[in-house]
Amino acid sequence: MSGRAFGTQTPAAPPREKEHVLPTEAPITPSPFAEKVRGPVGRSCDKIDGVERVTGTKLYGADLIAREADLHAKVVRSEHAHAEVVSIDTKEALRVDGVLAVLTAEDVKGTNRHGLIRRDHPVLAKDRVRYRGDAVAIVVAKTEQAAAAGRDAVKVEYRVLPTVESIEQAMAPGAPHLQPGGNVMGGRRIRKGDADSALADSHVVVSETFRTQTVDHAFLDVEAGVARWDGELLTIRVSGQWVHEEARLVALALGLPVERVRIIQPAAGGAFGGREDISIQIYVGLAALRFAGKTVALRYDRAESMRARHKRHPMRIEYAMGADREGRLTAAKVAIYSDEGAYASTGIAVCRKMSSHATGPYRVPHVRVDVFGVHTNNNPTGAMRGFGATQIAIAYEGMMDRLAAKLGVDRVEFRRANLIRPGDAVTTGQVVPSPTAVECLEAVLRQYGSKSMPSEPLPTHLRRGWGVSVICFGMGYGDGFPDASRARVRIGADGCVEVYSGIVDVGQGAENVIAQVAAEEMGVGLEHTRVITADTHMTPESGSCSATRSTFFAGNAVRLAAGELKEKLLDAAGELLCVHPNELEFRGEEIRGRFDEGLCCSLGELVAAARKRGYELEAEALFKPRTICEDFETGQSPRAFITYMFGAHVSQVLVDVETGEVRVERHVACHDVGRAINPEAVRGQITGGVVQGIGMALMEEVVYRGGRILNPGFTDYILPTVRDVPPVECVVLESNDPLGPYGAKGVGEPPLIGAVPAVLSAIYDATGKAPATLPCNPERVWGMLTGS
Amino acid sequence: MFYQPTDMAEALRLRAELGPEVVTVCGGTDVVVAMNHGVARPEAFLDLSRVAGRDSVERVNGIYLLGGGVTFAQMAKLPVRALAEAARSVGGPQIRNVGTIAGNLGTASPAGDGSVALLALDAEVELSHVERGSRWVRLEEFFLDYKRTALQPDELITRVRFPSDFESVWYKIGKRGAVNISIVCCAIGRSPAGAYRIALGSVGPVPMRAMEAEAVLNGDSTDAAHRAVAYLADEVIERAAEAAELEAAPIDDQRSSARYREAMCRVLVRRLLRELRDG
Ligand SMILES: Cc1cc2nc3c(=O)[nH]c(=O)nc-3n(C[C@H](O)[C@H](O)[C@H](O)COP(=O)(O)OP(=O)(O)OC[C@H]3O[C@@H](n4cnc5c(N)ncnc54)[C@H](O)[C@@H]3O)c2cc1C
Repeated sequence: MSGRAFGTQTPAAPPREKEHVLPTEAPITPSPFAEKVRGPVGRSCDKIDGVERVTGTKLYGADLIAREADLHAKVVRSEHAHAEVVSIDTKEALRVDGVLAVLTAEDVKGTNRHGLIRRDHPVLAKDRVRYRGDAVAIVVAKTEQAAAAGRDAVKVEYRVLPTVESIEQAMAPGAPHLQPGGNVMGGRRIRKGDADSALADSHVVVSETFRTQTVDHAFLDVEAGVARWDGELLTIRVSGQWVHEEARLVALALGLPVERVRIIQPAAGGAFGGREDISIQIYVGLAALRFAGKTVALRYDRAESMRARHKRHPMRIEYAMGADREGRLTAAKVAIYSDEGAYASTGIAVCRKMSSHATGPYRVPHVRVDVFGVHTNNNPTGAMRGFGATQIAIAYEGMMDRLAAKLGVDRVEFRRANLIRPGDAVTTGQVVPSPTAVECLEAVLRQYGSKSMPSEPLPTHLRRGWGVSVICFGMGYGDGFPDASRARVRIGADGCVEVYSGIVDVGQGAENVIAQVAAEEMGVGLEHTRVITADTHMTPESGSCSATRSTFFAGNAVRLAAGELKEKLLDAAGELLCVHPNELEFRGEEIRGRFDEGLCCSLGELVAAARKRGYELEAEALFKPRTICEDFETGQSPRAFITYMFGAHVSQVLVDVETGEVRVERHVACHDVGRAINPEAVRGQITGGVVQGIGMALMEEVVYRGGRILNPGFTDYILPTVRDVPPVECVVLESNDPLGPYGAKGVGEPPLIGAVPAVLSAIYDATGKAPATLPCNPERVWGMLTGS
Repeated sequence: MFYQPTDMAEALRLRAELGPEVVTVCGGTDVVVAMNHGVARPEAFLDLSRVAGRDSVERVNGIYLLGGGVTFAQMAKLPVRALAEAARSVGGPQIRNVGTIAGNLGTASPAGDGSVALLALDAEVELSHVERGSRWVRLEEFFLDYKRTALQPDELITRVRFPSDFESVWYKIGKRGAVNISIVCCAIGRSPAGAYRIALGSVGPVPMRAMEAEAVLNGDSTDAAHRAVAYLADEVIERAAEAAELEAAPIDDQRSSARYREAMCRVLVRRLLRELRDG
């Protein structure tokens, strides 16, 4: 009618209820080679702690504070993006009623440093601050209010230094050095064939400079938790993503043996990489060390969380790509500049993820990539869902659309012709084990339907278009980095299967996966399993909950341990029943004779018998597949990653070409997850990834001025709402990974990676202009369309 | 400390007695946010949410009379298009269920959606004092400067009134589909006599009227018959839209640049005038 397509008004009738059923019903495409399962693997099951979470009995960090806090801590932060700390005057703060102590760098007994790869981040800055979130002191008080008043009363004298606001400023001659080695933190490269001459010989070449924005993880459950020192052990209960590494970092920074630091994960409300870098663990631990026997609490509010925490790397990506007359890709030449902010965090690994994914799922014979991580006085940047593979996918998919247009060929055909097939290699030269890029593309197109663009006439200011993306993602740390998971499985006194794993469930359902795997392997029902995770003193190390590795690594470790335990159980049962173990088999929660039905004992009886003789029925296993370090000169490795995941998206948008508003009308996402252990959780991950991807494509952006975040809250850090995301149509593809538990690969990161370029591609299709700068908010799209 | 009067007379008495440090609160959706952000830490509140009749909606002799406590959810149901659409564009369901028109006017934000819509509808606001009685103030005289109004500290906003026979249209540009602060919003009202009123939000310190643009449409003549009730030529619309772009005085902020906002004034005025014309 009036072209009121845009969503600033609530329609009178509740929208989309009928459609909503559709997407979740999309059937899974199973692999014909998949291992047979009889138990819970492959069946959707409710989140193990779902009821506790929604009824408030599961305790988050903030709940622990409400119940247990004796004392409260607050962090004094730098008021400048870059300055020397001349002096810290704590006198007035100590006079504030209720304030008990003000701790500075002098009080930190260990290295006073942390950092996931390079330990370059001071816990409390001593002589220099490098971003506005840098911590300078900790105030401990009897109440939270007193701690805040004390924090505000600490007087820090600074000598302000020039602020380095951007990559460009950081690389300009004469720029102040933010780290001893200069502002280029490091980088990675690819040298494969001869990209320069291949580009020169290409039939067409397209180049573009992409700019991606700073993104915040915006998990709902802001940093909060408690710590207690009993004179022997420092127990810290704060949500992270890798409890064992957090214990090591706390121990190192505070000067304790690692055995004396216990990290226990409370319930976490999201992470997305935002809990990978250590947050409040060291601060609250430091405060607790000072007050033995007291439980010390620390929490951020949203603004402090946004000001303190690392972010997704904003990047400048200069990309040139060529194709021959037949529409085959010839070469790619890529230079990437990544804003690392003040400290290294996982930046160097992000650089490497960028280089190793530089040409995505496409066959490109000649590749030259240079990635530079550059320090600025912005917040440190680190892990966030996709870990660099997100930003580079925006670039390579953007190039595919541009090249197809220049060649005058269909963008889907062009992709089909260049996607890797069995036997083809990705950027690193690795021949991918199960390349399903083409299958994902076909499946997503099938679901979208070839004629599904509505053809009703639109008012002149509205344009409709659809876009496509195909992406790949190397699972796990890769690059020869030690990557391992341990798990222990035992039979509890009640005969239940108990699974101990260091893996962290950040809300995504890792606990379900390992419970399902254990139950499947042991042949018991899910209700006969119990999962104990993420406690450094109870659970074996399982590595981080990151890199889309939890299902694959923790799942495999649990499966191996369960397999071993089964053997032990049969042995023990054989002894108990006086038969050879081969005569016995598992039947649910019992062991019975294969041929003699009379032979029977329950798992509970076995445990009781074993305990009487003084031993436990348990098994521990290690899963540690190896990858091969990429050659530092060429970036090549025959096994850079253990396996690859693939995905394809189609997004349909409506663009108001006068105002620049963009609305996603439909979004279809297909992902090869190897095997969907918990299909509903897989769809949840895909849906969530698409939501975050739409946020990144269209609206999310941390805005800095002079190193200050102008929008440290959800009033102006714009996240998508339910009105900005159509019901996501999820297509789950199973390819049966040879190494994965029951064939599973994983699903965490790829859905976000695929979503962003699909939305951009749709805007291009709708308007004829290809976006290169994110996010595509109304003003930017308007600027792109009008040339303003 | 909470004062919770249950009738308006009591509310007005309390307002006049209590000092300005006692903050009037209705839905609290602005007051509480300011507290959370540490902008204000009031010790005491005069809470109007229990006052009888605060949310009454009447239509008498071609005039709508809304109690100050009428919520966006209520306004969303009124057959007054600009106001209803503006109300539907506010926040999410929770905010629409508690946020009120008096609060929107009281905050006097340039981005106040309800305020912008009312401005286009030629609305007046009733400011009442326990002894001095009430006075009706036209909205253009009510908004003084950035978040400053003609409301005296001892007064309350009690009602809002506007003619019920205006045709009106509304559009808001924001960064997302809900809980969406306007980058620019525009409401246009047309009286039965064919006089246009154009209101713009987020392009100046207060919700503003685009007087130059209105002049293009309404001419200088007060003669109703002279006005272009019938047909607005594209060319006239374009001149009005251009005038709106020129008279808007937005600033650059983290939400948008001034240039974009100016350009959008033109787009929205053009689009909404065509919509009024073409139905
Ligand atoms: C999440 C969220 C989203 C929002 N989205 C929008 C939006 O899209 N558009 C929009 O315009 N606003 C929005 N707002 C702002 C707010 O909801 C509106 O301004 C609303 O109209 C305020 O009404 P209230 O009753 O809650 O006001 P209160 O917070 O109770 O009061 C606001 C101000 O008005 C004064 N006041 C209130 N009642 C009276 C009275 N009777 N007499 C005198 N003074 C009075 C108060 O003292 C105070 O200064 C949003 C707020 C939030 C929290």
